[in-house]
Amino acid sequence: MTAIVEAVNLEKTYMLGKVTVNALRGVNLKVDKGDFVSILGPSGSGKSTLLNLIGALDKPTGGKLLVEGTDVSALNDNQLTDLRRRIGFVFQFFNLIPRITARENVELSMSIAGVSKSERRRRAEEVLDTVGLKERINHKPTELSGGEQQRVAIARALANDPKFFLMDEPTGNIDSKNANEIIDLVKKLNEERSVTVIMVTHDQHLAAQTKRIVQMFDGVIVKEIVT
Amino acid sequence: MKAGDIFSYAFGGIRLRKLRAGLTTLGVVIGIAAIVALLSITQGLQTTITRQLQTGLATDTLIVTAGRGLGAGMGGGFGGGDSGFTLLISDTQTIDALQNVETSFAIIQRTGYIQSGNNTRSTTIVGVDFAKYLSIYTSTFVAESGDIPLNPENGTVVVGKLVSAPWRNETVLFSANDSIKLLWPNATARPPRNETYAGHVAAVLKEVGGFGLGGPSDSSVYIPISQAESFFGTNECESIVVKLTNGDKATIDSVSKAISDAFDGEVSAISATAVLNLLSNVFSIIQLFLGGIAAISLLVAGIGIMNIMIVSLMERTREIGILKALGMKSRTVLLIFLCESVIIGLIGAFVGIASGWGLANVVAVFLGRGGGFMGGNQAAGTGGMTITPLLTPLVFLGALAFGVGVSVIFAIYPAWRASKLKPVEALRYE
Repeated sequence: MTAIVEAVNLEKTYMLGKVTVNALRGVNLKVDKGDFVSILGPSGSGKSTLLNLIGALDKPTGGKLLVEGTDVSALNDNQLTDLRRRIGFVFQFFNLIPRITARENVELSMSIAGVSKSERRRRAEEVLDTVGLKERINHKPTELSGGEQQRVAIARALANDPKFFLMDEPTGNIDSKNANEIIDLVKKLNEERSVTVIMVTHDQHLAAQTKRIVQMFDGVIVKEIVT
Repeated sequence: MKAGDIFSYAFGGIRLRKLRAGLTTLGVVIGIAAIVALLSITQGLQTTITRQLQTGLATDTLIVTAGRGLGAGMGGGFGGGDSGFTLLISDTQTIDALQNVETSFAIIQRTGYIQSGNNTRSTTIVGVDFAKYLSIYTSTFVAESGDIPLNPENGTVVVGKLVSAPWRNETVLFSANDSIKLLWPNATARPPRNETYAGHVAAVLKEVGGFGLGGPSDSSVYIPISQAESFFGTNECESIVVKLTNGDKATIDSVSKAISDAFDGEVSAISATAVLNLLSNVFSIIQLFLGGIAAISLLVAGIGIMNIMIVSLMERTREIGILKALGMKSRTVLLIFLCESVIIGLIGAFVGIASGWGLANVVAVFLGRGGGFMGGNQAAGTGGMTITPLLTPLVFLGALAFGVGVSVIFAIYPAWRASKLKPVEALRYE
């Protein structure tokens, strides 16, 4: 079986002013379908860089990154964009468009993918129901709590039937009660729908709830724990 | 992303920033309104003036004057040296002998006075051959009262309508069969004296209107050419009107050349059509000039659009990052920004055309009320000129295209910058 994501000796170097930063120095990682991986590490360990590469937001400078067998470093900008449509991003700061409602935010990702209007509407209601926001679909992000906003973001990620979820500190900006609810929701999606999840966090307790913990330090993976 | 979705997303962006978008649009509105108002008034003015000139205009005539080139022929005297050449009344014989010439006659013209009671009024005294003059200006050299004699006896005078009734009311200074006294200040006599021409009014002309290009004018008086010769003591004339066998361009050109050759290039012959063409050229230049001034204001509006879009781009960097992370193509981001500018341009152009048209009509009413744009002195013979602003399809479409075009052109750079944002950096932007 092909892995959904496979990094082989992955490297990323970038310039910070005149200083060359080796953010990733040979990362090897394999994520299979239905996996729930947390990437743990202190800030500056390269976990966000890794996430950006897996999310096709950036290109590697060395090694190989395969998403469903396709080498990401060989793709051009348009192909990377197409790939991003099939990745469910969930960010720490929710990253919803503030001027439109919860439903419109969910519909937007589908409209970018070219889904028809009626289908968008139906699917948006369905996924918002899945994340438990059926009653709040016509509210704008500013009228929603942090937990609710993150649920909208998860609904948006679900909408385009993604290959995998990519979460960047998904509970980093919400209170602990709501954080637990969010992680329960993600666990449920992983167990019941086999949604593959890759999550970056620096929260040990959160990581402990995932199937696998990958510990990073200084641009390399230093430890892997199967829980 | 579908075109409709791009449009509605762009429209949503504008709606969120109503005041800012409104002010940006106002810039376009002012620019377009200025262009439309100026051009439609100028076109209306051109149509009015051309129509007035064409009143009684004979297209198969040439007017010959001394001097080289068209400019000199128009009485301006620029271009070509002044050789002191003057046309003689007897030169009509030379011209009559040319091919394609039906007939020709000389015009002597002097500024003089009409004595009425103890007052004198200034006028233009024109000496012509009544029969020939009538044969060319059939529709304008027409008597309203009295008769125009074809073989006038001495002392015959035909007066223009505004000489008879200068204020266009019941006050009539001269009617047919009244006696009339014309004065001409003879400056070459020693001592200088006023020559006097005592006669009677044979006819009052019907009102001509217009400027009387080469033809009868409402504010002139007409006396037989032979009388004018002795009255002014000259055998020279100001111009010779030539009637051609037809009004074809080839005929006009060949006769013009033949006349010029016959006098060794010392005269120029212009046709009424040429004057109209010249006028049309002048108006084109005026339109271009006024349009250009108005276009500058639109340019300023364009820079305003660019400015606002760059500010908006900075504010929306994060939004663009989100859109790109969700898989929006750079091209789509570009299109959203351009679409916003098209919407602003379209609204601005339509509102601008409407307000420009309104403005033109208001200005036209004011000009009309002022009794004509020439200053309102009706006795001067301009007539009450009403200007109807003209909004041609060309001006309409041009203004529309220009408004949208300027908006889009100035949006290209900000839109391009937005589309080139790197998703990782845009998402990190605070």
